[in-house]
Amino acid sequence: MSTQSGLIEVRDLNINFKAKGETVQAVKSVSLNVQPGEFVSLIGPSGCGKSTLMNAVAGFIKASGGVLTLDGGAIDGPGSDRGVVFQQYSLFPWMTVRKNVEFGLRMKGVSPSQRETQARTLLGLAGLLAFENHYPSQLSGGMKQRVGIVRALATGPQVLLMDEPFGALDSQTRSVMQEILTNMWQRLRLSVLFITHDIEEAIFLSDRIYVMTARPGRIKAELKVPLPRPRRAEMMDTPEFTAMLRSIKKLLREESFAAMGSELSEGGYDGLSMEVGPEGVSHVL
Amino acid sequence: MALTDRHPMESPPAAAPSHPLPRKPVRQPRLSAIEGGQPAAGAPRPFRPKEWLESAPGSWMLGALSIAIVLLAWYLLTVYRVDFYVRFGNIPTPVEVWHSIVGVSHSSRFLTDIGISLRRVLLGFLGATVTGTLIGILVGRYRIFRSLTMPAMEVFRPIPAIAWVPMAIMLWPSNEVSIVFITFIGAFFPILINTIHGVEQIDEVLFRAAYSLGAKEKDVILYVVIPGALQHIFAGLSIGMGVAWVSLIAAEMISGQFGIGYFTWEAYSLISYPDIALGMITIGVLGLLCSKAINLCSQLVMPWMAAAAGARK
Repeated sequence: MSTQSGLIEVRDLNINFKAKGETVQAVKSVSLNVQPGEFVSLIGPSGCGKSTLMNAVAGFIKASGGVLTLDGGAIDGPGSDRGVVFQQYSLFPWMTVRKNVEFGLRMKGVSPSQRETQARTLLGLAGLLAFENHYPSQLSGGMKQRVGIVRALATGPQVLLMDEPFGALDSQTRSVMQEILTNMWQRLRLSVLFITHDIEEAIFLSDRIYVMTARPGRIKAELKVPLPRPRRAEMMDTPEFTAMLRSIKKLLREESFAAMGSELSEGGYDGLSMEVGPEGVSHVL
Repeated sequence: MALTDRHPMESPPAAAPSHPLPRKPVRQPRLSAIEGGQPAAGAPRPFRPKEWLESAPGSWMLGALSIAIVLLAWYLLTVYRVDFYVRFGNIPTPVEVWHSIVGVSHSSRFLTDIGISLRRVLLGFLGATVTGTLIGILVGRYRIFRSLTMPAMEVFRPIPAIAWVPMAIMLWPSNEVSIVFITFIGAFFPILINTIHGVEQIDEVLFRAAYSLGAKEKDVILYVVIPGALQHIFAGLSIGMGVAWVSLIAAEMISGQFGIGYFTWEAYSLISYPDIALGMITIGVLGLLCSKAINLCSQLVMPWMAAAAGARK
């Protein structure tokens, strides 16, 4: 895989939605880039438009304004040059694990025997070869998501777009998946745009992190992760990691309050200062 | 089957040894409720009637019992010619019907009737399957096609297939074709509606996944839309087959010269009452066989459904 390609550039991106006749701005003049072979995370409060932004890069939705390019060419619709890993399990339930992985190759017109060899090689790397003939419904959540990653990688894309891929997993499975992903990235060195709301996940995996504001989503900050490669789980205990965690938490807390501000004031609360004594909530209510 | 002898459902094989990292344990099959609270293996177990009745031989016996009760009730009601608002005076006894079955099994006319009915139902049903799924996929997938076709369909949909009988006789050159047409109409709408629903409920993320893997529109139809809607399509086929039989029998009774529906109605006209019951039983058996055939097809065509059911255990 060439490390020369895989440059994502986003300039002055605006994305508007029409909801109930009103135009809602989801993403507002966002500019960012992912260098070839770089792992970049996009983090922000829920509803900030980070998934919308990724969907635009993937080509699933159209931008309302701005420039979106991959290696200098404008992005127009989805394509196998950008592998996508979704938040929900997106495996085809009617295909076995191997057929799912082969799907992209089949679309490229690769011969059946070659498809099978490539799919089995990739499944072997991900420790999934024993499950090649299973259907997705027979797999655990972590396994499904690993198959999803393998499937996205099978066509050899320059870029991997990941939309909160581990969001639905329990925390133990999640940390295992993060280690698997960072090991895979270390080997493949492709460009990754990773969407998450988990700060530790973003720091552990990324070279660079963009923090987004509440809706309409704008880039609030861009931070370089000072940790060396390859990443190991122990690095999460280093002072650099904790310092970074603290500063991103602070940035995000402001935004989360901004995002929830309207909801909270509508509920009649002036901040969250309700005091609950030993009598419990029932007493207060 | 002895309860303690039950093998657990097969679980996925252990992880590939090459995999370096731990993972969630493979889900263990849960024991079913009746297996709960068993004494340790080897200890003598007291006989519990409820447990035995819930086991396989027990449920077979209960099934046989339910049919025996029906036969017995039929026998008693007809032999004693019960007349209590419902009149069993002219109803044939099971023995008479049995004689009629034995008698008719030598008759080529009866087999011809069955053959003709089956041919009509299968032709109408196949026509409805092809057109219903095809139009259903187009309607479910393309909004323009939906706007173009559905208003016209909605006009015809509430009209029962049987109401088409006079019109069908005028429309088609022969009686045979008009009966097939009525069968077709009966099966068409359930298949169409279920196919549309099946296409609509496919998760959007699967389309996105397919496109991002380089799929073109024809690939999406072939590998996402059709398999994704298949479960609903088969539900439609099942209902459609039932309605096809209803429509066929009614059409044969009204306008036929052959067929099992005609046979049943003719038996009434000729006052050969055992043959009425024979006709009804035959229709029931044929309907059951057709519905089993569809079930079998659905299992062959959708092996992943069995896998999903196994995983839920």
